[in-house]
Amino acid sequence: MRGPHLGVLCIALLCAAAAQSSAAPPGAGAALYLEGRLPDGRPLQAIGPNGVVARGADAACVNCHRRSGLGSREGDITVPPLTAAYLFRDGATNAADAALAHPPGTTPRSFAYTPETLLQTLVSGVRPDGRSLRAPMPHYVLDATAGRALTDYLASLGVAPAPGVGADEIVFATIVTPDAEPVAREAMLTVLRAYFATQAEAAAARRDEARPNGVAPYRATRRWRLQVWALSGPATDWQRQLGDYQAQDPAFALLSGMAGRDWAPVHAFCEQARVPCLFPNVDLPVVAEQDFYPLYYSRGVLLEAELLRARAAGVRRFVQLYRRDDIGLAAANALRAHAAGVVVEDRVLPAAATTLQARATQLAHALDGIGAEAATLLWLRGDDLRALGNPPPGRILASGLMAGLDDAPLPARWRARTEFAYPLDLPARRALRMRFPLAWLKAHDIPVTALRVQSDSWLACDILAGILEHVGDAYVPEYLVERLETMLGRRLSDGYYPRLGLAPGQRFASKGGALVRLAEDGTVVPVVDWLVP
Amino acid sequence: MPVAARSSRRWLLPCLAVIAGAFLSLAACVVRADEPEAADPHAHHRAMLAQQVRRSEVAYALPNVRVVRQDGKAMSLADALGDDRVVVVNFIYTTCTTICPLSSQVFSQFQAKLGAARGRVHLVSFSIDPEQDTPARLVEYAKKFHAGPNWDHYTGAIEASIAVQRGFDAYRGDKMNHGPLTLLRAAHGKDWVRLDGFASADDLLAAYQDLVARH
Repeated sequence: MRGPHLGVLCIALLCAAAAQSSAAPPGAGAALYLEGRLPDGRPLQAIGPNGVVARGADAACVNCHRRSGLGSREGDITVPPLTAAYLFRDGATNAADAALAHPPGTTPRSFAYTPETLLQTLVSGVRPDGRSLRAPMPHYVLDATAGRALTDYLASLGVAPAPGVGADEIVFATIVTPDAEPVAREAMLTVLRAYFATQAEAAAARRDEARPNGVAPYRATRRWRLQVWALSGPATDWQRQLGDYQAQDPAFALLSGMAGRDWAPVHAFCEQARVPCLFPNVDLPVVAEQDFYPLYYSRGVLLEAELLRARAAGVRRFVQLYRRDDIGLAAANALRAHAAGVVVEDRVLPAAATTLQARATQLAHALDGIGAEAATLLWLRGDDLRALGNPPPGRILASGLMAGLDDAPLPARWRARTEFAYPLDLPARRALRMRFPLAWLKAHDIPVTALRVQSDSWLACDILAGILEHVGDAYVPEYLVERLETMLGRRLSDGYYPRLGLAPGQRFASKGGALVRLAEDGTVVPVVDWLVP
Repeated sequence: MPVAARSSRRWLLPCLAVIAGAFLSLAACVVRADEPEAADPHAHHRAMLAQQVRRSEVAYALPNVRVVRQDGKAMSLADALGDDRVVVVNFIYTTCTTICPLSSQVFSQFQAKLGAARGRVHLVSFSIDPEQDTPARLVEYAKKFHAGPNWDHYTGAIEASIAVQRGFDAYRGDKMNHGPLTLLRAAHGKDWVRLDGFASADDLLAAYQDLVARH
């Protein structure tokens, strides 16, 4: 018997063994697909087209075919979908079946896999029609039990109906926490409501256009419906409230949103309930890039801490001021974490100070005795900045996000000496891009009341609209996130941000920021144009 | 930008490495020693893929930009590439899950296959996602692929990264658009050998030996 025949026999024996395969434990298919772990606990092994051997998580299907199973595209390489709807029938495209998700680059096959031929292909690298799998698809070391677990898992992908997707509409929710600043909250809601109203009109028009032949071209023509999920009470109860909201009237994704100090319960809900959470207005996000569903514009004040630390690399002593109930606490901790070998002293202000005089007294006490060798770092809001008395003799650094950016109400004696972290593009450089949100606000008769919130909220809607055009019919929450990972970097105009970009394992779209001073006339004076710490 | 391209396209030798032992042992088949081809049921798969590597020789005018090595040291692109060693370049980003792990694994294997010649070859991986790929992240990434002292990873300002990619005709507008590419240069001032496609470690070794023989 010649060699190739022996090889085929090996595969045939292996597949014949599938009939007698032992049952894999529950979750074995998911562990194999997502983590590269075989049912017996050993790492999955893949042999790549160029002789590369990958094991365990590096060999997991999810790396290329993604969590949705709908595949991906990188350069000229199309990674096809491998949900059961594609694999186990021939010529599967949504041209014949509008219910079938249809990611770009997918080409129909002339044959349908069976679980047995799929396993054979995965092991041999050769398809039932005799063609080799295309690079970079590897072949795998899989036994029948693992193969069965994998095909069972693939059969489960994309089967459950997407939450919030109805026959004529798609539901999104936005979240406002009880401590959200009222003006900013209303600014966001006004933008979202106007955007959704316009989208609904456009969707209706597109559906009307499609009616003469009785076929709606894509479900992307569905009307968007906005729900506002207002949270109440202590943050410890928010996750329960969100679960109730989702159970009553499910949302496909959370869009934008407005928080005060705490966003962690929302982040936890999104990850647990598998709901994409797209670009909320939060200055203290949750840094957990191993999580999948929450996406943010930037790391907010945590990024500022790193920017300021990088800017003050030679400083040997920091004195940080923040209120104990505000997000400055987390930022101060972040700076300390990046200041090994440096003295970091925190002067914590009490939570409540209602009058200007009380604030001034507290701040004067906190600033007392700071020497010229120390850098003073202000994690303070505008109400506190207004109450500042005499500046300390040394270097002064501050959070731009907490201070109010260009509008920071800093007393004149502090202005020339204070450097702000500014995790946005500089005004002169973003001016052209800002014409887009400003023109949109004007076209919708919305006055500018909180421009960064309004711009970021509009941008979240605009990003979503652009991505949904590319999602086509594939309303799968995971696929929405995956398309964002792939396509966000291709946008031409991102409002306050010089560029946005994501990837698998990246959950913060803007990575750097500037360092600036504020002139007397309010002009933003760059000290460092752009820094990625 | 390529300023001169000589059409010297040829097919690379098919990869002949035998790597399917693990699969065959799993399949519980007995393969006779006098039938060596039986040990590689994937030969067709790999031979087809090897043929998809496209070779050309190009003279590039590279930009005068600063790049930052994984240890944080900033230097000119010319200094990053220009010493007495043969230089082999690829493009990666550390959160890439499709092409880059393969490219880096191939570099890792190539590094091992060079043996005693390892010190005469400089492996250079440029990040195409420089704002994410800080020097610290590059160190972590290099460690994962067992990068030795002759394999450096570079990041830098995004403008510099784009300029380097454009210099090698590798810029595709977005990191998600990139393709598998390896470039080799025998010495400073010489043309680059460009390999488009999934080159194996054996492909790189053959290209390196060819360069050395010709220069």
